Amino acid sequence: MSDPLLRIEHLQKSYGDEEVLKDISFEMDEGDADVLIGPSGSGKSTLLRCINRLTEPDGGDIYLDGELTSGPDYDVNDLRREVGMVFQDINLFAHLTAMENVTLGLKRVLGMGEEAAEAKAMAQLEQVGLENKAESYPAELSGGQQQRVGIARALAMDPKLMLFDEPTSSLDPELTGEVVTVMKNLAAEGMTMLVVTHEMGFARSAATQMLFLEGGYLVEQGPPGQLFDDPEKERTREFLRRITEAEAEGTI
Amino acid sequence: MATVGRESGETVIAVGRRTGAAVILYLAFWGWLVSRWVNDWVLPAGWGVQPGTPYIDPATLEPISSQLAFAVEFLPALAAGAYMTLILTIVSIALGFVIAVPVSVARVYGRWTAWLSLGFTELIRGTPLLAQLFVLYYGLPLATEIRMLPFVGTGPIPGQAFWVAIIGFTINSAAYQAEYIRSALLSVDRGQLVAGRSLGLSQIDAIRYVVLPQALRYAIPGWSNELVYLIKYSSLAAFITVPELFEVARTIASQNFKYTALFTLVGLMYLAIIITASNVMTAVEERVHIPGLGQTGTR
Repeated sequence: MSDPLLRIEHLQKSYGDEEVLKDISFEMDEGDADVLIGPSGSGKSTLLRCINRLTEPDGGDIYLDGELTSGPDYDVNDLRREVGMVFQDINLFAHLTAMENVTLGLKRVLGMGEEAAEAKAMAQLEQVGLENKAESYPAELSGGQQQRVGIARALAMDPKLMLFDEPTSSLDPELTGEVVTVMKNLAAEGMTMLVVTHEMGFARSAATQMLFLEGGYLVEQGPPGQLFDDPEKERTREFLRRITEAEAEGTI
Repeated sequence: MATVGRESGETVIAVGRRTGAAVILYLAFWGWLVSRWVNDWVLPAGWGVQPGTPYIDPATLEPISSQLAFAVEFLPALAAGAYMTLILTIVSIALGFVIAVPVSVARVYGRWTAWLSLGFTELIRGTPLLAQLFVLYYGLPLATEIRMLPFVGTGPIPGQAFWVAIIGFTINSAAYQAEYIRSALLSVDRGQLVAGRSLGLSQIDAIRYVVLPQALRYAIPGWSNELVYLIKYSSLAAFITVPELFEVARTIASQNFKYTALFTLVGLMYLAIIITASNVMTAVEERVHIPGLGQTGTR
């Protein structure tokens, strides 16, 4: 077996006195779609942000494709070209059309020409089903459409790894489906992705592994079947029971 | 940018509404003003009327209205003053803008540069503009240095006082513009900057391509205010002997003692310039408006 695509060893992060991540270690192989779950404040977002260094880790090592990326020798902007991110609050560039949102990184980071960038962006928008919204501005799109543009924007950079930070949490319930569908397709196509979400439907059907994070610890990890049906830890069972119930009631 | 060139139906209606009487007044004022400059400085001798003399002989107007005759007599001199006022304002606001953008970015995103920027804006905003002009003109050897430069004060190139005024207004306006841009920068959701960085943009590129294009749009209403202020504040250049609109009126009035009449006339000219400036800024605001976002202010 080749090197894992992502290897995290003893990752540690504190904000002031509060230790948010305590000795996190795990690996992801290429093509894995791992789902990160855990109560709010458990450090899920911080973990994602440490991977593309929007937050600098305090300790431990992160390797992407066998290279140490968490050290000061690895340029953050180079790292972020390799790692795409999708945000809870979407954060589309409000003054740019859907097309321009996608081409900005292609032109200004990858140095692509106008035409090549637009062709690439159009292909990416087609992939998320928004080719007919290319000229729309973010404020003219629904939340679900905005988030699909957000996904296209990150995908266009051809990242090795995609990070999803609660991509559906800010959306109305009826709009989450379209985003989840795009993510499922992406997973099926073999994109390596690490997803923080409460969408248990996605976890069940698309996840390679589920990682349960609580209080800064990686409490348990395993295939979704195992975590849902036969978790080792009582805390995992309890959390999944609560979240499944909430989902059934439609409160998430 | 794709936003440029888009015109909503509302814009067309708004523009339509403004046409009519307003356009005729604009054309009359600006047409006269520009024709005056052309006549007095561009046309070869023998063309048009004698430089500095009215188009219509005031004596012929005297029977109709003595006020009108009075106004017509001095309008050519005031047109020359208005030229100075406009150049002072436009050059200063433009140069001030060039300084204000990095100053405001330094203030919002910098560390030690934020203090530098804060110091600059507080010093400039906290002291009277007139005092700043006096320091620059009388306190520093600036005027002497500028007078030594080639062409200063010869032909169409204004004298040293004008250049000192430009420097003063530029610095002053930069501080105020920086404040307007700073608050606009803060109003752009920080998440967008993070999203830009997450694509691999450097901090400065993310500010340049993501934050600034939006912030500058949000800054337009406040910035227009600064433009309007500067048009009027440029009259302080009179105190360092720049022959701008106010100074021209004051000089004439000191000879014929018709202060009220002249300052009323000058006031109307400032008003015409300011209404134009404010309408131009509203048009700019509508033109760069981001589709789907709020509503542009119509004045």
